[in-house]
Amino acid sequence: MATIDITKLRKEFGDEGEQIVAVEDLDLTIEDGEFMVFVGPSGCGKTTTLRCVAGLEDVSSGSIEFDGVDVTDQRARERNVAMVFQNYALYPHMTVRKNIGFPLRLSTKQSSDEIDERVEEIATLLGIESLLDDKPKELSGGQQQRVALGRAIIRDPEVFLMDEPLSNLDAKLRSVMRTELQELQQELDVTTAYVTHDQVEAMAMGDRIAILNEGRLQQVGDANEVYRSPTNEFVAGFIGSPSINLVTAEVDGDTLVGPGNFEYVLDDVSWVDGRSRVRVGVRPEDMHLVEDGAGSMPSEVTVVEHMGNENFLYARMGEVDLTARVPSKMRPPEGSRVRFDFDEEDLYLFDVDTQESVKTKTGETDVGYEQYVHNSV
Amino acid sequence: MRRETRNDALWKFGSYIFLLTITALVLIPIYWMLVAATIPQSEFFSWPPRLLPGLHYLQNFQALQESVDFIRSIGNSLIIAVSYTALSLVLCSMAGFAFAKYEFRFKEPLFYAILATLVLPIQLLIIPLFLLITQIGWTNSYLAVILPWAANPLGIFLMRQNMKAIPDALLESARMDGATEFQLYYKIALPTMIPSLSALAIILFLNQWQAFLYPLIVLQEEKMFTIPIALAQLVGQQRVNFDQVMVATSLAIIPIFLMFIFLQQYFIKGILSGSVKQ
Ligand SMILES: Nc1ncnc2c1ncn2[C@@H]1O[C@H](COP(=O)(O)OP(=O)(O)O)[C@@H](O)[C@H]1O
Ligand SMILES: [Mg+2]
Repeated sequence: MATIDITKLRKEFGDEGEQIVAVEDLDLTIEDGEFMVFVGPSGCGKTTTLRCVAGLEDVSSGSIEFDGVDVTDQRARERNVAMVFQNYALYPHMTVRKNIGFPLRLSTKQSSDEIDERVEEIATLLGIESLLDDKPKELSGGQQQRVALGRAIIRDPEVFLMDEPLSNLDAKLRSVMRTELQELQQELDVTTAYVTHDQVEAMAMGDRIAILNEGRLQQVGDANEVYRSPTNEFVAGFIGSPSINLVTAEVDGDTLVGPGNFEYVLDDVSWVDGRSRVRVGVRPEDMHLVEDGAGSMPSEVTVVEHMGNENFLYARMGEVDLTARVPSKMRPPEGSRVRFDFDEEDLYLFDVDTQESVKTKTGETDVGYEQYVHNSV
Repeated sequence: MRRETRNDALWKFGSYIFLLTITALVLIPIYWMLVAATIPQSEFFSWPPRLLPGLHYLQNFQALQESVDFIRSIGNSLIIAVSYTALSLVLCSMAGFAFAKYEFRFKEPLFYAILATLVLPIQLLIIPLFLLITQIGWTNSYLAVILPWAANPLGIFLMRQNMKAIPDALLESARMDGATEFQLYYKIALPTMIPSLSALAIILFLNQWQAFLYPLIVLQEEKMFTIPIALAQLVGQQRVNFDQVMVATSLAIIPIFLMFIFLQQYFIKGILSGSVKQ
């Protein structure tokens, strides 16, 4: 087990002249035993970061330490790191047994009986003991995934790296494997860096989440932090599904005035002190339909998506598209005019130029569950 | 639907007719060789030609063995062709692996330089090679035949093309699992390349088995003769010992035949399938 310290990590690709900066000055500490998820849009440098930690990619500058030991110049096989690849990368000419045992046969002096015993142990843990003599091409996606996992955990690595390991599975299996992976990680207590482009997966799995954009680290925090207190507009937009609604508004005294007759009166004017314009963000789940005459967001419903447990309303307010999540029994006809409102504690404000957060959610969390908690062991 | 099936059947029928014709054209000379090996020289030019094998095979073989030590030639040919094939497979696959999967300085120019040697005719190289071999005193040795052609440019090219299909993730995964670079080659690249290695083995073996001009020049002593050189001894100025030639060739094709039958089981398609999920 190890603590990973990444300091000023920078990785450029390409020759002089037309360089791509894939990762830029990344500072991050992954605690011992932590499950850290890297998330961000495609091309933001997640894979590159992971490959630098793995030792598959030379860094351009900066350093990587495992438990205080600088491993920046060590090769992959010297680092005691295991990795699960997006496409599993199983050895096609070896049976499942050989695949899982491969790292042990390379790196230890154990006898082949001991190795076989360990392979069977791992296979039982992953529920693939009946597949040990099959070749990878005879397995389903989920089974291949498990073999790849088995191969990664068999030699008790200090660090566990996974690059979108679930993205090749169908939705149902993905959520099963998601839980299994988390349980496995908790059981083994291995420091883990996990890459995904799926923010739902990130929120669900990560002890902490590192959000990257264009090679830069935007924010690190647990799911609650990045959802409630994003550091900037990008994070606010990336985390949460459907995405947060964003409007540019003029500040007129205590009122925010925006496109399509958007008007919102602030209780606490200090948020917009000295600003003439501000970006306003409201999450779809914080918007509620209100009676005619009230509300701050008059809009026209364009599409209604029925999800069963709730409805997504897509609406236009002037030039701006809005999304709202409303209870399933509320289904205004398409084309009808409705009004939305939201609470000030749910309001996000961002600087128009820097896009840094000015105000994020202010409401209390953890309220009112005491009565439901029964401390009877 | 019906119409299509009928077209398919017609197409299949036509293909079979075509393939059978080609097969017959190839087999007729081989059959004639076998017949001719079993009849005395005197009947060789008889008219109408003999269509069935005779009983003269052993006599013909004895005559052959008296003219030239053919059994020894078979031994020489086997030693040379087998060790050449083995050595060349190692060299070509290593070079191919490097060209396919590593970045190094002058990689492209080097590769094209190797390819360019393909257009050099062997006649151009024979004299300088002969001088070199004589100078280091290797004439009449197996090494003289094996070594100069072991790094086969065609083989390097083929291995490079095929090894490009090995997914990088597979090699990286092995690196993470603790493999050295040599182990990548030996434990991952080679086993996944068995079909191309088998194909290349046949090409290399065949090339060396039938090589004539270069071995003729560096192997001057009769005890070192390979099969093609031994065969050439049977062709005199006045007279060609057809019976002996036919016995010799009938024996010479056996190893090629066996090798093909043995290796074809490895030409299984898609040995790489199932390694990485697409
Ligand atoms: N081997 C490479 N050569 C050149 N550019 C690369 C290479 N690998 C990644 N990049 C570039 O670096 C950036 C980050 O890539 P990557 O880390 O793969 O993103 P992600 O995994 O977040 O989708 C992209 O712009 C990509 O094009
Ligand atoms: Mg990626």
